[in-house]
Formats: sequence, structure tokens, C-alpha cells
Amino acid sequence: MKRTYLGEFEEIVLLTVILLEGNAYGVAITHEIIEQTGRSVRLNQVHAALHRLEEKGMVYSKMGESTAERGGRRKRLFTITAYGEQTLLDIQAVRSQFLQLLPRPLKPLTSL
Amino acid sequence: MKKPAQASKPQPPRLADKLLEWFCAPHLLEELQGDLHEEFYYQLERVGEKRARLRYVWDVLGFIRPFAMKCTSSTYSSSPLLHVSMFQSYLTIALRTLWRSKGYTSLNIAGLSVAFCICTFLFLTVHFQLSFDSFHQGKDRIFQTYFFKNEPEGANWSDNMPMPLTPALKASYPEVQGATRVLYSGHSSISYKGKRVDKNVVLTDPDFLRLFSFPMLKGHPENALRDLSSIIISEKLAGVIFGKEDPIGKVLQLGSEGKQKGYMVSGVIADPPENSTLRYDAVIRIENAGNYLSTQNQWDAFFMQTYIKLAPGVDKAAFENKLKPFADQYLAEEFSRLKNKGARPDKAGDLFAIRLVNLSDVHFGPTGNKASLYQLVCLAFVILLIACFNFTNLSMARCFTRAREVGVRKTLGARKGQLFVQIWGEAILLCLAGFIAGLLLTYVLTPGFNTFFGAHLTLQYMWQPGVILLLLTLFVGVALIAGGYPALFMSKFNPVEVLKGKVSLKRPGILRNSLIVMQFAMSALLACCTVIALQQEQYLRSMPTGFEKEQVISIPVGNKADGRQVLARLRNRLAGDPTVISITGSDVNLGYGKDGVSSRSAFSFTYNGREVSTDWLLVDYNYLKTLSIPLLAGREFNPAIPTDSVNRVIITQSMADMLGEGEPVGKIIRDDNNPEAKGNEVIGVIADFHLYGATSKLHPITMHMSHHEPINYIFVRITPQSLQGAISRLQGAWKQAAPGTEFLGSFVDENVDAMYEDQKRFSHLLTLASGIAVLLSCAGLFAIALLVIEQRTKEIGIRKVLGANVSSIILVLSKEFVKLVLISLSIAIPVAWWLMQEWLANFPYQIAISGWVFAGVGAAALLVALLTISVHSIKAALANPVKALRQE
Repeated sequence: MKRTYLGEFEEIVLLTVILLEGNAYGVAITHEIIEQTGRSVRLNQVHAALHRLEEKGMVYSKMGESTAERGGRRKRLFTITAYGEQTLLDIQAVRSQFLQLLPRPLKPLTSL
Repeated sequence: MKKPAQASKPQPPRLADKLLEWFCAPHLLEELQGDLHEEFYYQLERVGEKRARLRYVWDVLGFIRPFAMKCTSSTYSSSPLLHVSMFQSYLTIALRTLWRSKGYTSLNIAGLSVAFCICTFLFLTVHFQLSFDSFHQGKDRIFQTYFFKNEPEGANWSDNMPMPLTPALKASYPEVQGATRVLYSGHSSISYKGKRVDKNVVLTDPDFLRLFSFPMLKGHPENALRDLSSIIISEKLAGVIFGKEDPIGKVLQLGSEGKQKGYMVSGVIADPPENSTLRYDAVIRIENAGNYLSTQNQWDAFFMQTYIKLAPGVDKAAFENKLKPFADQYLAEEFSRLKNKGARPDKAGDLFAIRLVNLSDVHFGPTGNKASLYQLVCLAFVILLIACFNFTNLSMARCFTRAREVGVRKTLGARKGQLFVQIWGEAILLCLAGFIAGLLLTYVLTPGFNTFFGAHLTLQYMWQPGVILLLLTLFVGVALIAGGYPALFMSKFNPVEVLKGKVSLKRPGILRNSLIVMQFAMSALLACCTVIALQQEQYLRSMPTGFEKEQVISIPVGNKADGRQVLARLRNRLAGDPTVISITGSDVNLGYGKDGVSSRSAFSFTYNGREVSTDWLLVDYNYLKTLSIPLLAGREFNPAIPTDSVNRVIITQSMADMLGEGEPVGKIIRDDNNPEAKGNEVIGVIADFHLYGATSKLHPITMHMSHHEPINYIFVRITPQSLQGAISRLQGAWKQAAPGTEFLGSFVDENVDAMYEDQKRFSHLLTLASGIAVLLSCAGLFAIALLVIEQRTKEIGIRKVLGANVSSIILVLSKEFVKLVLISLSIAIPVAWWLMQEWLANFPYQIAISGWVFAGVGAAALLVALLTISVHSIKAALANPVKALRQE
């Protein structure tokens, strides 16, 4: 089977990019991840991940309009590419395939 | 009530922002900074300003990661700084450009090689001088003893020791691990089986071999000098006498015909290196000295050197202190002699002391005067600096001609670093060529340098780590500084402007002009100093000495014969010689003779309440006649009056002035503090004369004829017609008058000239340095003028078309350079004036620095500069303007 080069954090960032369709840039993505997962994520981690994703061709970016709150600086807006979407689907497929093959269903841990 | 100032919107920490701007890749900066600022304001609302600021800093620091940094994420292609194929290309291009501009290249290489060559010579000289005696093991613990005497005429140092000092030192002080006497007996004849050579035989103690590290090639250092009749010969001498034969055990005959003594060779020792103060061809025990028996317990005959080795950890100053009671005990006579002469203790309380000088400083004398070495280093640096300026200037001037290449390279994607490496590499290549040429030049010129300066440099000295390191540092320094700046400058060109051709119009080159000014200032400075030094030397030589120095021959008697006897025999022998006018003797030589000895005897006392200090000169009959010193009053010593030889003196005019006597003849000179002594009656007054040359101040002289003091020098005046062959005739008479001694006669005028050897060396050196400096500066100006005029070809063409004539164009072209030369002169002249004023202050008789020197040097500098430029400017002015204007 073909291996997809996508780390766990990258996967989350990639998913967030889809979630924020059209308004996915550094700060927004960071805040969204914090909100959704409750992890403490730092800006530089997100930027590094976005940088890697762009190098892998899973997102592409363009500069947005300048905004006043950023001192007139433009945002870099990220959009997922078809390859990115396909990668997510592949991962999904692999996982569900494994889940189906499991001899017994996974049991969630119930707290006492 | 004051209104609180309206709080401006909080800003992210500036320092962190600056940091981000510095390290962040330019194309990422906008979005990153935007995100960071947005986050900052978000956090400001959430957690307050203080924590938001902290967070901001933390976030910025988090971005110090490769993806955000400049180096890896350039918008340009990321080729490595130095690639092998690129390097090859640079080399090819460099060789091509250098070859294309042969004039520039050869000028550069010539200038650099001359400077490197001079520097190598001067540094080698300094290194050689400083390396003297440094090859001995444990040299820090080896010392030479010397006597410090605070004589009335000034502090005095002497390394001549009495015979019994060394054994006494060894016996009295356990910390003296070894001590040896060294006595040079001059050249002795050594013969073996009919072969005869005159060689330098050193008389010494067995400790000589333990103290010094001259390697023994044959024999053992512990027992080679055990026997009184052992002799150790140098490797060279062994080769001369024995060839390939084994010398050990062979018997050599030493001494002159009839007085020979046999010595058995017990060892062969390596030749002393050039940088050894101790020189020898053979070594024997000191007990073999002719006067050993009479002097072995004599503490007042000073004629040999003493070296000692102290135990580890013994402090030199502390040991010198411990030597004080020793000096009191054994050398009490010296103390009383000095006291009788009126000497007083110096500031440290020493009237007379035995002191030590480190072996490594023995070469420079007890006071360790190394000033002349620092002069050499300074000169070397000035010359190197001028050469560096030339190099920088030429490279800068060529910047403009190569600006297009840089522009094209930049548009094709060359980065600053690459351009820098390329251009700098070319500079290094040039520098290397100059360096190698300089070393070759040094190799070729070494014999000439050695004869000119009386040096003993061999190229072996270059193969020492210290020298190699120094030369390499020099090379790297020149390449780095002189070549680095133009490379940096060129690599910063803006490609757009360069390709438009704008660069050549911008800034006429403040750097270039200031470098030219400094070059010329240094050259003019050296030239002024040279002229003044030469004038002073000439002035000293031409100063009237007060006696007739021509046609007088001075003969040192040496310590093997009795001067009085020799003088009497010589008088008898030459009595009938019509070419000899008169003969006399003295204890002080006039000038610097072939024996290389200079001595002085002075004495001071109080006379009628006046402090009097005078030279105390022993003379013989006919001294005044022989030297043609005019008698002002009274009479000369007369052989017909036998009492003249006791307590009668002749004084010079300045002595009479010092005594305060208008009519001194017939007066008795007596020390106020010693009224019982029989005073000296003044029988004559003579005009002042310079006993010690014009480098020291004229001093009052008192002449006496006491038979107790030895005559050391004999003076013979001959007729002017008999100068030819006079020396050889005298030599013949000398052989019979003083058999077995060496004849070292020389003309007094030559001796007096030899006193100014130091000044001569100094002015020689300055002449050479300033000559090279002027030459280098002119070479630099020549090239700069060429490049500047090339750039102005069109301007000249337009001027000519508009009706300018040749002379006005030459004027326009020369004006700028003349201005520069004038500025440099205005810097150089005051500095030269000040420096030479300081230098002249060392002399009691000095020239007044005349303004004409500066005017002359200034005019010469201007003329030389104009001539240098004129080669190009005239050519440019005469050129056909059509050609200049058609140039595309």
C-alpha cells in the first residue's frame, strides 16, 4: 500500500484548513485547533506544519487582503488541494478498513 | 488638574519585533508578523498586556526555526557559495582579466614584491638580532656579570672582569651552579705538521661546556677541558687542519715562533651559529693565558668576561643585592678610586656594583638598547602600508572598469557572497604572486643586503616557524585588508545602476584620495627625515675637531706590550726618517680605531669652591705638535725639564674657564677637600678640541704626563708627500719595535669618521626606505592617473572640441592630483619637523632645521607627481578628440 506522508498534527491542521474554508490563516487555524481539541498549540508549530504541507503539495496559499488589525499586513490564506483531500480520504479508508477487520469492536474507556 | 495622557494602543515588544525582522526570511515576514501581531491583540484582550507581551516574545522565539530563517529559504536559487566548477571558472576569469590588464597587474605585483622583500629583510634582521644567544638551554638562568660605575662623567657599564672574580663567585655563593671566564686572546697562530693558520682561540674554564649549549661532536663535555693542555677545536678548524683525519689525540702547536706550546685535541665542538655572541675557533683552559700567574689574584686588572648560571628559582635582582657585600670585600679599591675622583652614588645608592645581564640581552649590551630594532620594524610597516594603499587604490580604481561584469553577474543570479569570493580571490592571487616574487627578490638580493648593511643574514633563517608564521600573517593581513575592501565594495554594486553606467559618476573616491594623501605624506615624511639626517651627519663630520686629523696615524699598542717601551723604540727607529714629523703617545685613542676600543678617564673635584669636572688625559712629549693643537699660553711639556712628568698639567681653554682663572699658567690646581695633596701646576693653556667626536659635548681636558699610567696608543704625524705607503713603512718599524703584536694602525681622520658609523647607518637606512616609499607612491599615482584619465576621455574630447588647448587640458587633469600632494605635504611637514627635532635633541651639536629642506622636498614631491601624471595627461591632451568621442 502506498504510504502517505502526513503526521498526526499535520492531519489536524489540514482538516482545520477545510473547516475554515476561505479564511484559513495562521492565527485562525491555531485558535480553531485549540477550540476543537483543547490542545495548547503554538503559532510557530502551525506555521511549520503549513509550510510542510505546502511543500508536500497538500495545500496551496495566496496572499489575502490587508487588514487594519494586523497593522495593514496581509494574511496568507491556505486552501486544500485535491491531493490533500485525496490524502485525507486515503487515511480515512485505511483506518476504517482496519476497524472493520478488528475481531471485536473498540470499547471506549468509561470512567468509574 | 492634569489630564492623564491618552494611553496609546499597546504595541508588541519592539525588541522582539526587531529580532523577528532580523532573522525572518523577507518573503515570510509579512504574514508571520501579521499573525503574531493579531495573536498579540487577541491575547491582550484575553490575559492583559503584561502576559500578552511575554507571550509575544515567547512566540517570536518559537519562530527561530529553519523554515522561517533567511538562509534556507531564499527566493533565489540556492547554489553553494563555492562549487568546484564555479571555482575553476573564477580562476579562468581571474587569469584572463589579470592577463588582459598587464600594466595594472605588473605594477601591483612589482609594488607588493618590493614591499614584501623589504619587510622580509627588515623582519629577518630584527628576528636575527632578537634571536641572539637564544639557542642555549636554560638561557634564562645564564647571566653575564658587569660592573656598574657611577663615574663623575656619567654612569658607566663595563663587562671587563678581573681574573679572580669567577672562582670567588663560585666559592662564595652556592646558587652559582656554574661560572666561566671568557678571554679573547685575539688571533693566535696554530700549527700542525707545517700547516699554519691564524685563528681565534678563546681561553676559558671547563664550565664553558656545561653552561653553553654548543654541541660537542667528538669528545665529552665533562672531561674535554680537564687537562690544562687540552684544546677543543671547532668543526671548521678541524676541517681546515685535519681534513678527514680524526683530530682526537693529535697535538697542535699554539703561539708565535719560538714560544710555541703543544696542546692535545680532546674534542671537536660545533661552529658557533651566526647569532652567537661568543665566537671561537678553538677553546683552551684560561690557565694558559700569558699573564695568568701574575693576574690570578689581581682584582684590579679588568680584561675578561664572566658568565654564570644560577640555580633554578634564584631571582636576578635578589642575587644582585647579595653581591653587594662581595663587591665591598673584593673590590674596595674601585670604591676608593671612584670616591677620589669625586663620584657620587646614583639614585639607587650604587656607586659601584656588580650586576647581571641576561644572556639573551648580552648582545645589546648591559643597558639593552633595542631602539634601532624598533626603528626597523616601523620602517617595514610604513613601506608595507604604502604598498597596501597602492594595492587597495589600484583595485578600487579598477572597480569601475569591472562594474559591468559585476552587474551582469548579478542579473544572472550571482549572490553577494559569490561575487565577494570571486573578486577577493583575484586579489589573493595577485597578492600571492607579489609574495612569491618578493621572496625570490629576497633570495636574489640577500648577498647585496649583507654587504651593504654588514649583516649576516642567510635564508636559513626563513625556515623557522616564527619567521614563517610572521611572513604568512603579513601575507594574509595584506590580502585580507588591502584586497578585501575593494571586493566588498564591488560586491555591493546595485546591478541596475551599474548596467546603466551610473557608478563611475558617483563619488570621485574619498577613500582613493585619502589613501593617495597618506601615501604621499609618508613618502614626504621619510624624504624630509632623510635630508635632515644626512645634513646632520655631514655637519658632524665637518665640525672642526680642534686638532689636525689629517696625516696622523694612530696605532693601538694592545695589552701584550708595554706602550712606553714601544714608543721609545719607535722614536729611536724613526728618528732618522724624513717622512715622520713627530711621534707621541696617549692613553685615549682619537676616533674609533681598528682595535674597536674606546675608553675615557675623567675626574672631578672642587677648586676654590667651584665644582670642576674634566677629562684626565695622559699624553707624551710632542702631543700638541703631532696633532697641531694651538698653544694659547704657557708652554708644552719639555723633555729638557724632567719635573714636567710629575704634577704638571696643560689645560684647555674651557678648563681654564671652568676653574675661573683668567691667567691660569703657574696656578696650582688642588682639590679643596684634599688640601694636603700636592697640587698640579698649570704650565700651558691650549685651544679646546674634541677628544670624543662631535656626538658628545665638548668637555674640558687636563693633560698630564704621569709615568704611572700606561700608554695605549701611539700617534705618528707624517709629511703630506709620504702618505702613500706610510702605513706599510710604519708596519715594518712596528714589527721591530713591538715584536709579536698585531699592527692595527689606521689614519686618525678615518677613525674620526668611523665615530659617526651609527649616524651613517641611520641615514643609509632612511635613504633606502624613503627611496622605496617614493617609488611605490609614484607607481600608485601613475596607475591611478591612468585610470582617472581613461574615465575622462570623453570629457577631454568635448573640451577640445569646444576649443580648449593642450596646456589647459593638462592643467585641468593635473589640478586634482596637485591638490592631493599639497594636502599630504601639509600633513607631512609638521610631523617631520617634530620628529627630527626630537632626533636632533640627542646631539649636543645640531643643525637648525631649515625651511628650505621642506620647501625643497615639497617642490620635489610636486615635480615628481606632475611628471608621473604628465605621461598620461599629455597623451590624453594630444589625442584626437574625434576618436575619444566616437568611442562607444
